[in-house]
Amino acid sequence: MHDDPTEPGPTARATLRRRTLFASAAILAAPAILGRAARAAGGQIVVGTWAGDYGNLLKANVEDPILVPKGYEVIQDAGDEPPRIAKMIAQKRLPHGTVDVACVQAVAAYQLNALELLEKLDESKVPNLKNVRAELRTDYFAPHIWSPQVLIYNPDRVPNPPTSFGDLLDPKYKGKIGFPDVNAFYVMMAAALYGSGNASDFDKAKELAVKLNAQNPHLYPSTDQAGPPFKTGEIDVGVMWLARVNMWQNAGIPVKASFPKEGCILYVSGMVVPKNAPNKEGAFAYLDAMLEPSAQQRFAERMGYLPTVTNAPLTGKVGEQLALPDPPPKLVVPDFAYTSKVMADIQEWWKKTTAHD
Amino acid sequence: MALSVESARPRHADAGEEGQGAAASAFLAPATFIVALMLIAPLVLLARFSVNRFDPTELMIDAVTPANFVRFFTDPFYVQVMRVTVSVAVMSTALCLLFGLPIAYRLARTQSRRKSMLMLLIILPLFVGSTVRTVGWMILFAHGGMVDVIAERWLGAHVDLMYTTTAVVAGIVSINLPFVILTLQSVFEGIDARLEEAARGLGAAPGRAFRRIVWPLALPGVMIAGILCFILAMNAYATPYLLGGPRFQMMAPLIYYEFGSNNNWPFAAALAFILMGTTLLLTTLSNTLVPRRYRG
Repeated sequence: MHDDPTEPGPTARATLRRRTLFASAAILAAPAILGRAARAAGGQIVVGTWAGDYGNLLKANVEDPILVPKGYEVIQDAGDEPPRIAKMIAQKRLPHGTVDVACVQAVAAYQLNALELLEKLDESKVPNLKNVRAELRTDYFAPHIWSPQVLIYNPDRVPNPPTSFGDLLDPKYKGKIGFPDVNAFYVMMAAALYGSGNASDFDKAKELAVKLNAQNPHLYPSTDQAGPPFKTGEIDVGVMWLARVNMWQNAGIPVKASFPKEGCILYVSGMVVPKNAPNKEGAFAYLDAMLEPSAQQRFAERMGYLPTVTNAPLTGKVGEQLALPDPPPKLVVPDFAYTSKVMADIQEWWKKTTAHD
Repeated sequence: MALSVESARPRHADAGEEGQGAAASAFLAPATFIVALMLIAPLVLLARFSVNRFDPTELMIDAVTPANFVRFFTDPFYVQVMRVTVSVAVMSTALCLLFGLPIAYRLARTQSRRKSMLMLLIILPLFVGSTVRTVGWMILFAHGGMVDVIAERWLGAHVDLMYTTTAVVAGIVSINLPFVILTLQSVFEGIDARLEEAARGLGAAPGRAFRRIVWPLALPGVMIAGILCFILAMNAYATPYLLGGPRFQMMAPLIYYEFGSNNNWPFAAALAFILMGTTLLLTTLSNTLVPRRYRG
């Protein structure tokens, strides 16, 4: 080492630089380290969620106003649902997984529960579960949002709205029907419900899906892409979730919803807690916060999904937009035990049936 | 590999140089080891997955069965998906070479002061992500999009290019073309312009000089550009997914669908191997297109 500190040699300079670097790093990291210790009261909750609106609304209405004041630190692991599920399956054997709460659709929750990956939920762990609508309750899944499947149409070009799935098979709609391909399985359930009154009757569904495909419907890669074609005139009718119809109306797309007389298949999405969640107490607190009336009402206002709890009434414009007709339509929760078994085969059948030659 | 453009090997390596070579190898060893490990280990894992069984509720079940491979080759749907993938890749490669060759040749031979600006113009599209560029194509091709509006005004008919093979090929060509041009440009730069001048001095017309002198020398490099483009096109995901639409099937979106939406990892792994195998096989076979005397 050089003795003269005013003129450090290359080695000393390097050491100095390294020391400075360590010191700066320690100073920079201090708030994080101290902050973590300060927040340890509530702990850290990692939430596997969709990015975009859904994730932002969780932050604005569940995390910031309810959980952060209680001393929790929430981290969103944003991404699509399939990789989230794949990750949970891959982490099956690990004592500690990477997420505390995973946002999934009801059918995926059923599959994950069948694989024995999910923590059981009850009112002792999540008190707000007592307010959840009876038809949506299970002991492994906390439903967050739901929406009935409706027939969507452009009122400017379709003066007599379709009133059942069967109306879509009318030759006058040939080439004017459209829906996202990702919803094909639910469209087939709607076909089954129309054809035989049983949403799980996929033999009937296949028969009607062939007829529907002969109408040359437009299939879109994602749900978002199915909205603008109603405005450009590419399509006039389709099958969609009520929530999306409202969202598109608010975006200036000329569409209206018609409730099919045979009944509506329900889209249900919510949250589950993996058995190997690192912070289960935090996860239960998250689920409870998500079921709070204030959080549920904000989601209805912003995304057009209906609250899953009975103590969050909707008023004003959103109350009108989301009101179910009187008398209320038949609401059909899919038979997840059956659909999760046949889903892969049905989707493959759909892919082959609708593929270009 | 027989396709390498030039291998510069010193003819008289003395002991000192050999020592340096050994030291260089020693430095390279850890990196090589890590890369090999990170490449081979996942492939082994993937191979193991591909012979497992799938159950809709249990998902992946340990087994050793060729069922996933048999399923692919015995189902006309999947064979057709591969056929579409290969034909789109061949079409895109042919178009990229067709458009790329003259541009690259002109660029390599130009003495203009604007050469660096021209190079920048070619590289510029690479600064925009491929998905963003695909969205640009979607705006052009959509119903009521630019192409449609212009066609309606001039031809009085709707032109729906969205969700067609044409749209997918156009999208892939736009993404791969800069890679092809850059590769070919460096190939042409490496061919001494004086050889052409000599040929012309000896009475060959420009076309003939190119055909007899430049083309044979460039051929191995052209093959590399073609192979690069072909491999990229075979594995294209965003373009066929967004511009091809749900009715258009290519291998990469199908693999993601089987892996992600269906959670059928064994079949997805088998599909990945079949795609990799087919690409390797076709790449190797394409080598035979180059006459033996021209190979590098």
